[in-house]
Amino acid sequence: MWPLISEFSKWLMTTQLSHDMAGQWKWGWATCETLHFIGLSLLLGCIGVLDLRMLGFAKHIPPEAIHKMVPFGVAGFSLCAITGSLFFIGAPFQYVKNIAFLFKLIFIAIAGFNILFFYVGGVHKKIANLGPDDTPPLSARVVSWVSIIAWFGVIYWGRMLPFVGNAF
Amino acid sequence: MHEIYQAMEDTQFATWIRESGSIWAYPIVLSLHAIGMGMLVGFNWAIDFRLLGFAPQVPLLSMERFLPWAWWGFWINAISGIVLTFADATTKMTSWVFGVKMASIFIAVYVLVEIKKRVFVKQTSDGKALAVLSIVLWAFAITSGRLMAYLGPVSGLQGVSNQ
Repeated sequence: MWPLISEFSKWLMTTQLSHDMAGQWKWGWATCETLHFIGLSLLLGCIGVLDLRMLGFAKHIPPEAIHKMVPFGVAGFSLCAITGSLFFIGAPFQYVKNIAFLFKLIFIAIAGFNILFFYVGGVHKKIANLGPDDTPPLSARVVSWVSIIAWFGVIYWGRMLPFVGNAF
Repeated sequence: MHEIYQAMEDTQFATWIRESGSIWAYPIVLSLHAIGMGMLVGFNWAIDFRLLGFAPQVPLLSMERFLPWAWWGFWINAISGIVLTFADATTKMTSWVFGVKMASIFIAVYVLVEIKKRVFVKQTSDGKALAVLSIVLWAFAITSGRLMAYLGPVSGLQGVSNQ
């Protein structure tokens, strides 16, 4: 596995985009970091309002009504995924040898499977018809807790990147 | 003034935060600062989006329920921010970018208080103009916060560029 990752990383570094990110494009890295933080906030807040409702807070709101905030969370995630990929392309070896990066990917995967369970596993269907003041089922509360823990984990390990291993 | 900043930086606590290398010092405080930012700005933006007409089935006044969660983020960041400022007082307190960041946060929090007052309590405003202001000001605060690693006197944990 490692030779493959290593070869791929070396190839990435030969690309023009990698050179741009690594310094050719003067404010590239700083701009992407800023967008990464803006995306993080969008994601946490606009997914967080649904999580909180499913945990029983803001009970006057029908869950499906606050579910309409999710597209903003998806936009935030996309912003983070794009800028995050650019960091990786710019300096792949800062990440592939960094244990914090592995943990960050694991937490993103947990969050991803949680979302899959929410939509494909029938949890969304269960909450979609709930009215104001209805209590969401246990499965919805579990999904909310996993979501909150997973995204906090992603932020924690992302912030740990410069402090662990060889990077930055 | 410089003596005061130096004294802040030289306190045992600030030195430990900056130089101990412990995961519980600088790294944890910085992580809390990112999580608090996500809560404060994120919940604030969600409220703003509703004020602007998104998710129209959500009863407008119910959005007030998310305000306390934004305030949780605010206090996490006020405390972690003060700790980070002590750790690098000589560079942060003399940085113009830091000044811009503090000013945008101050105005953004003022706008949030006005949203609470005019939209949720007195109900005299639809809050649309305040929402636009709020969205822009928080984006500005995040931008200037991140640029502190690039412009003005650069601080941060020794040996880590944080860029």
